[in-house]
Amino acid sequence: MISCTEFIPAYNELFKFIEQKNDKEALIDFWHYLSDKFLVNLKNEVVENGLLGCWNYWNKTLKEEAADFTMELDEKEQEFSITMHHCPSKGLLLEQNHIEPYPDYCEHCDVLYRRVLEPQGFEYTLDRSQTNKARCKLTIKNKQKLHIT
Amino acid sequence: MTKKSITQRSSNHTYFHKDFHIALNYGIEYLYKNFGENAVDEYLMQFTKNYHVPLKKSLCSIGLIAIKNHYKKIFKVEGTTFDMDLSKDESKLTIYLHASTAVQHIKENGHKVAPSYEKTVSVVNQEICKNTPYDCNMTNYNQDNGAYKLEFFKRVL
Repeated sequence: MISCTEFIPAYNELFKFIEQKNDKEALIDFWHYLSDKFLVNLKNEVVENGLLGCWNYWNKTLKEEAADFTMELDEKEQEFSITMHHCPSKGLLLEQNHIEPYPDYCEHCDVLYRRVLEPQGFEYTLDRSQTNKARCKLTIKNKQKLHIT
Repeated sequence: MTKKSITQRSSNHTYFHKDFHIALNYGIEYLYKNFGENAVDEYLMQFTKNYHVPLKKSLCSIGLIAIKNHYKKIFKVEGTTFDMDLSKDESKLTIYLHASTAVQHIKENGHKVAPSYEKTVSVVNQEICKNTPYDCNMTNYNQDNGAYKLEFFKRVL
């Protein structure tokens, strides 16, 4: 049995395996597949609750992942953000010497969540400039609000 | 209109995100559908070879007690019910998993268990034993709840 606590190394290795087996396009195809099948709960949350759905989703998952983060929601400005001070997934890959991280491991976050949120009318921005330090910043804005202002 | 903010430290919580079982299940399913059953084996062997380096070293140095300690820790974290029996001479370890918390979580959340999912047990453990004095065999795998019997034993040279 692979424990859910061993998932990140398994996920990292899966990225490398799919790319080796085929190419980067196949890996992106896998991320699309995973987004469609796995992130149904995020989609349902945002369809029902808008940006508050993002808060509800990440408030649960990031606590379970024991992340080090600041999360902000401003419903008046229709803006939601997560400042990841230390990502437990990338952090784990960087800390374990015998594991070689997939070169752009954090790209999957960009692909998976963007695919759910943009069709729902949200602008999705992920700053990955500091992922080598297990840090990133996610900003989600309601496009409808942006057009009004 | 709500405006709220929260800051969490990793030390506030225990690392335990069961939905990762669902994501791994879809990884196995994707490989099976797009590259065939052999690709599932190849992937799990590659993962084990690269990830379980410390466990393989321990298995070679201290024997089956390393496997026992590894699974005892994992099953405790997962909240799994199991029995383990290590023979007095430490040449044989038998693990009975009564139900897989991974399979249960996947099903409880409305997802189908991927074909070949049981290889996450059989292939991974065979690869852990590869090039060590030990071998293993999984039997009685229950497709409904992921229960199994897993035996580790000394290789006949």
